[in-house]
Amino acid sequence: MDNSTQESHLRSENSVTYESPYPIYAMAFSPSHPHRLALGSFIEDYTNRVHILSFHPDTLSLNPHPSLSFDHPYPPTKLMFHPRKPSPSSSSDLLATSGDYLRLWDVRENSVEPLSLFNNSKTSEFCAPLTSFDWNDIEPNRIGTSSIDTTCTIWDIERTVVETQLIAHDKEVYDIAWGEARVFASVSADGSVRIFDLRDKEHSTIIYESPHPDTPLLRLAWNKQDLRYMATILMDSNKVVILDIRSPTTPVAELERHRGSVNAIAWAPHSSTHICSAGDDTQALIWELPTLASPTGIDPMCMYSAGCEINQLQWSAAQPDWIAVAFANKMQLLKV
Amino acid sequence: MVPENMKKQLALAVRSIQWSYAILWTDSATQPGVLRWGEGYYNGDIKTRKTSQGVELNSDQIGLQRSEQLRELFKSLKTAEISPQSKRPSAALSPEDLTDAEWYYLVCMSFIFNIGQGLPGRTLAKGQPIWLNNAHSADCKVFSRSLLAKSASIETVVCFPVMEGVIELGTTEQVSEDFSLIERIKTSFLNSLHVNVPNKSGVLKSRDQEDLAYVAFDHNANNVESIPEIGYDIANATSPDGSSNAFQANQPLDETFMVERITSGTSQVQSWQVMDDELSNCVHNSMNSSDCISQTFASPENIASSPKCNNPSDPRARDLQKCNNPKMTLVDPRSDDWHYQRVLSDLLKNSDQLLIRMHSQKFHQESSFVSWRKGGTMDCQWPRSGTSQKLLKKVLFEVPQMHLDGLHESQEENDYKEGMRLEADEIGMNHVMSERRRRAKLNERFLTLRSMVPSITKDDKVSILDDAIEYLRKLERRIKELEAQKGMTNIEPGTRRSPQDMVERTSDHYFSKSNNGKKPVVKKRKVCGVDETGREINSDALKGSYANDVTVSAGDNELVIEMKCPSRSGRLLEIMEAVNSFNIDFNSVQSTESDGNLHLTIKSVFTGATIATTKRIKQALQKVASKF
Repeated sequence: MDNSTQESHLRSENSVTYESPYPIYAMAFSPSHPHRLALGSFIEDYTNRVHILSFHPDTLSLNPHPSLSFDHPYPPTKLMFHPRKPSPSSSSDLLATSGDYLRLWDVRENSVEPLSLFNNSKTSEFCAPLTSFDWNDIEPNRIGTSSIDTTCTIWDIERTVVETQLIAHDKEVYDIAWGEARVFASVSADGSVRIFDLRDKEHSTIIYESPHPDTPLLRLAWNKQDLRYMATILMDSNKVVILDIRSPTTPVAELERHRGSVNAIAWAPHSSTHICSAGDDTQALIWELPTLASPTGIDPMCMYSAGCEINQLQWSAAQPDWIAVAFANKMQLLKV
Repeated sequence: MVPENMKKQLALAVRSIQWSYAILWTDSATQPGVLRWGEGYYNGDIKTRKTSQGVELNSDQIGLQRSEQLRELFKSLKTAEISPQSKRPSAALSPEDLTDAEWYYLVCMSFIFNIGQGLPGRTLAKGQPIWLNNAHSADCKVFSRSLLAKSASIETVVCFPVMEGVIELGTTEQVSEDFSLIERIKTSFLNSLHVNVPNKSGVLKSRDQEDLAYVAFDHNANNVESIPEIGYDIANATSPDGSSNAFQANQPLDETFMVERITSGTSQVQSWQVMDDELSNCVHNSMNSSDCISQTFASPENIASSPKCNNPSDPRARDLQKCNNPKMTLVDPRSDDWHYQRVLSDLLKNSDQLLIRMHSQKFHQESSFVSWRKGGTMDCQWPRSGTSQKLLKKVLFEVPQMHLDGLHESQEENDYKEGMRLEADEIGMNHVMSERRRRAKLNERFLTLRSMVPSITKDDKVSILDDAIEYLRKLERRIKELEAQKGMTNIEPGTRRSPQDMVERTSDHYFSKSNNGKKPVVKKRKVCGVDETGREINSDALKGSYANDVTVSAGDNELVIEMKCPSRSGRLLEIMEAVNSFNIDFNSVQSTESDGNLHLTIKSVFTGATIATTKRIKQALQKVASKF
């Protein structure tokens, strides 16, 4: 019938679009400042920028804060705000970025100050580049980074020391996600999802391996509402693989309704059974995981088309009825 | 049975007060005790008027025709829903032609009310008129169609009992309670009913067909078991009704109703009420904040299955529940908007998705997302060509290489890969690789050391170390000397150059690999060039431009790197490491330190083998220079 109605989605009633001077990749909502979000540019060069914006859902307005934007060496591979509210005395907000190093920035009222730079290499000034990181929301002094040198590094950011560094995989580690205070999982070019427990660093549990050996797994999302579930995506695949840590190696569901490769996944911050995925087919799909999988596969609940490959997806924990997607040089906030 | 002239009477009544619509809810012929659509007249806004026949019509006829067309449209949609294969009978109107108020009117046709339930049901149970103001913002427990009313801007709804059932009137105006108005209408209305003027207007010709359609519809509804697939559809179609029951099941505002409800209901009803409670709570919460999604998951089931509790004779209840659960749980119950959107889409499953969206967008801050449909994006154009996951791959695969470029790791990486390629089959591969890397590092450090020691005579490692030792001793002597002088500076100020004023180091044909057959460049020329550059740098330093502290220029067969950065121990080493990684053959390196800044000039022969671009080199050096 009619599918040329994408324009109608750009209505101001249910979405807001921000056009950046640069292509956008990294993106983060601030949990403690519900109206704040950060955008990282993707310029294939040394000089990149991180912008801080404020979003007001009531008026559907998006305002950039030029005084809060700052230079970042190389494109940030991930941005993340401090997962908890800061102490009431301070109005500042911490932002972490990953790239050549893990960096912490203090986002203040009118400025952003670099706080610290984390380098885990004792022998060299250069540490292996970071593909991603995750901030432990239960113990926020802990950040785990994943690197192309096959390791994951757990930092104590208050003491700026390495808590531990694990050779996590056989190949590059592409993403890391915390489950509990001391438990994290990672995905890698070696095609496996592994769970680590800091209390027993000698062992890791492989809970999934990609069907064709060595198909890299690119992203990982742990369901914070129900820690039994996590989701991962494969290279050049339209599948979102849902894993249950209780049944290792066999995914509980594979969501296969994207018409192109999937680029990003995010669990609903407020629901244990909803997940959003976005991909090259320009679509963002929201899925509800049924209790019983149907033989014909799972259909998404609803969809949104951005008209362009969606590269990034974030679901606001502070305002769970808003999802942000990034495509080309645009960032769009969508009402769920 | 609806009197034949009912439509006419409704028309007269609603037009006399200029309200938007009138509906007669009557006893269902097939389901006793249930109020369903009997007749209606639409008197509200009309978006488009399709006059297939060129005949001029007066306003009466237009109104009657419109109402009839709406009814036909509803039936046609209904038919399409029950038997999707059958082609939709051509209706005079298509869904696109409707205004919001007409939608409201149309959707009302799908509602049924048990006696004592819903606005019409309660009116009948009480035998009293009910006047509802602010219908659009009424609690959905009081007025189950409030959200629909909101979309249609219906403000006032009035129900009153008549002989045939319940008349419902609605308007987009805010009309304050006026029971005399009802009386007036009732009198004229009922009176005129008694006159019973036979109306031969052509628009009523479908009466019989309509009744037939009812029968067919109800027949399906009661035989779910035998036709499960159709039952599935019916279940969806009746969900507005179901939800209205659910919403009204616990109505704290109207206690008398509550009593009626309980006494007239079966024991089943009461048990359902517990769940209904939960449901309405959920709905309430979700109106304020939508953070109770998990809590509300049960609700669609309630919605779906609540019709059954009011139909005690119903053998389909089991099936309803069975066939509904998978489908209905897809409804996101967090917002009522969702529910109604769903109802609409279920009702109009076979009509345009666009239409539903168009309609539902009238709700404030509607979701950006639309219901997913299989094949819904079949002809959606998205760029299919090119690499998939382009940006994601760049972030994961290429950005790390950008970091590595220009750093010594890239050297290692090359070695690593070379090692892999050449010796992949060997068992001791790891050992070979690590040994290879160790050697590479060692050589690198030697070369750096060599560049720092000015007077190196031979290329071999022992000589380098010997010269370095000699140089260090020299420096130590120099330090002692200077320290001794320092004590005298008060006496003889300015007679000697302070040590940090200028320390100059020059090294000859640094890093010219002996095995590549390159001729050492004549010393004379080089020294000259070095001196010149040195002056330039010094003048640059006076300007103190910090940002442009690295220049990389590729001239005729020569690559010149000039840089300035704050001096720090180990800085030179880092710079040399960074430059080394580009596999550049150096002619000369000159470094000076003054005012706490390190000035460095590196010249090299530009060979074709140099892979790195000047930009890359510059970036790498900038990065080193900006380190503290």
